[in-house]
Amino acid sequence: MDKMQICHLYPDLLNLYGDRGNIISMTKRLNWRGIQTEVFEISVGEHFDPEKYDIVFIGGGQDFEQEILLPDLLGEKTANLKYAVESNVTFLAICGGYQLLGNYYKTWNGHQLDFTGAIDIHTIGSTERMIGNFMFEAELNHRTIEIAGFENHSGMTFLGSKVQPLGKIRKGSGNNGKDGTAGARYKNVFCSYSHGPLLPKNPILCDFILQTALNEKFGNYELKTLDDEAENQALTAMLRRLR
Amino acid sequence: MKILTFAAILSARITTFILRLIGRGGTSLPGRIALLFQKDLLGILSQKYKVIAVTGTNGKTTTSRIIGSLLFEAGLDFFENKSGANLLPGIAASFAMDCSLLGKPGHRYAIIECDEAAFRTAAPKMQPAIVVITNLFRDQLDRYGEISHMLTKIKEGLLSCPDSTVVFNSDDSLSYSISSSIKNSIITFGINESPYGSDDDFISDAPYCIRCKGPYNYVYRTYGHLGDFYCSSCGYRRTPPDISATDIEMNFERSTFTLHLYNETLKVSPSLPGAYNIYNVLAAVAAVSSFINDQTVLSVGISTFESGFGRMERVIINDFSLTMVLVKNPAGLNQVINFLSYDDSMKILVMILNDRFADGTDISWIWDANFEKLFSFSDRFSQIYLSGMRAEELKLRFKYAGYEPNMLHVEKDYKHLMEKIELDNKENLPVFVLPTYTAMFDFRKVIASKFRLKEFWK
Ligand SMILES: [Zn+2]
Repeated sequence: MDKMQICHLYPDLLNLYGDRGNIISMTKRLNWRGIQTEVFEISVGEHFDPEKYDIVFIGGGQDFEQEILLPDLLGEKTANLKYAVESNVTFLAICGGYQLLGNYYKTWNGHQLDFTGAIDIHTIGSTERMIGNFMFEAELNHRTIEIAGFENHSGMTFLGSKVQPLGKIRKGSGNNGKDGTAGARYKNVFCSYSHGPLLPKNPILCDFILQTALNEKFGNYELKTLDDEAENQALTAMLRRLR
Repeated sequence: MKILTFAAILSARITTFILRLIGRGGTSLPGRIALLFQKDLLGILSQKYKVIAVTGTNGKTTTSRIIGSLLFEAGLDFFENKSGANLLPGIAASFAMDCSLLGKPGHRYAIIECDEAAFRTAAPKMQPAIVVITNLFRDQLDRYGEISHMLTKIKEGLLSCPDSTVVFNSDDSLSYSISSSIKNSIITFGINESPYGSDDDFISDAPYCIRCKGPYNYVYRTYGHLGDFYCSSCGYRRTPPDISATDIEMNFERSTFTLHLYNETLKVSPSLPGAYNIYNVLAAVAAVSSFINDQTVLSVGISTFESGFGRMERVIINDFSLTMVLVKNPAGLNQVINFLSYDDSMKILVMILNDRFADGTDISWIWDANFEKLFSFSDRFSQIYLSGMRAEELKLRFKYAGYEPNMLHVEKDYKHLMEKIELDNKENLPVFVLPTYTAMFDFRKVIASKFRLKEFWK
């Protein structure tokens, strides 16, 4: 039986807004298709093997928790994360995890925190909070799909030249509230400010991420369709509110 | 000045009266209008009372009500603010309603439940004799922000009332950490053993030391991040509490334990299930311990306590019972799931998820709660109904916990929901309703009008 190895990075520190929902969504949707999953929780002081995992998930955290993990992240893990990104491992990074994959975070009063630089993005702190239900459009498999979620961040993230946005913002702020971009894509890395249950009610996005990882591991992988009625009801209910 | 206070009290009363006439209770309007006349109304009115303020994330209402029960047994006169009125305007209006028009206090004691975010501004005005901090959990981050910010706000509130006696939960590494930054006199409460078996998984809001960021170790845990914690890096640790519980036995209806009050012990058996309610009892006893120490008063006050509205309210409808338990964050919901797991009998489960401001507009937290555990005893639910503004999202959470979607009935209209429950419930099974904050009010209104229960603001 096919098996996928999922790494949940810093699950005890970056777990702010029901981020576990994304792990649950990915594992269930693989299991329902007869694909086994194993989730490895890697936290402070634990080795991150860049060749072991098919999918790496990084969630969001509070400032206090991010301060705890930063010294650990900026050690051996940074080089291994970069290596994994460059060798096409599939990543999903949310909120704080998204920011940590970038080059740096500059606070609104000019203090700069250097991050991993695994992807070419950076974040500027703002005094204004971008918060609420939001939606964006993404091109996946040459189809435009609508994605709904909840954003809650004060950091404004800007994308470097090699990084594509995950989508175009339709309602809400997205990356920075200025340039209309939402989230980021680089190689097989997917990033978003939509926290917690991003994947459960956006099954097309979830399957696209899973497809990316399965193709990488097994070549062209045929993904069975699932009954997504409940998923689509939740998505439609929110899209209707946001339109 | 006096005339403005008079006008403020009068306006609060008239507004409240009108709102009741038109059938609307539980709004902050009377307080907001009163504060237009006299912006220091709270400070002026509360100074004539002995104020017991209760704040923290979980258990504020129940703790306040138990304190009320203890004061009642001790023959002390008091008033309480309603749980919906725990922001500054609501608290000010509560005092205005208790005073005479000239500001003369109607009672000696005031038990004031105070929203943790409003505490910083309300506390300096009230200068409480006693402040109880029940605990701190992650709650509605869209509204309250990070836990560390909440800690700072509560600390600032306490620094502005140096004469208050502060009651801390010694098992909570978060809120207890404030105790070293203040000079107030302190009373602590805690549970001296693990009340659950070891197989419970603990979702911790605070795995790392608030002082030095090292990892905590635990001698035992009670629930969430609460327990006998210690940090081997900096030495921050739980201190043995002044008021504590041991020999705990719990079932679906009640808990029985030995209450240790300094050097005295007392066997108590409150009709409140769950470890979180043991904490609420301990917090209440700690709050009154400086002026009530009669054992009979304490044990009668604890055992006669009837759970307050919403948090755990039971009503009999026709031939079945309906129990409502407020849920608002993962730690609280996990406790309710734990409590439901004690009982083997068949029941009907209803969950209602709203995302208005008072509920928290961000409902992501449902993915942190242990619905997988709820699924592990799902054979005890004859029906599951889901409702509220985010019912579809709730259905998704249940589906991903293991439930077949066709087992889950979504009904957003509360009247229809209640009709379906009555129709389906031929065996008169007990019904458990788990609503978020605003859903609790709305759903109760429907039950109240359908079955002529007393109105909720009385
Ligand atoms: Zn420490």
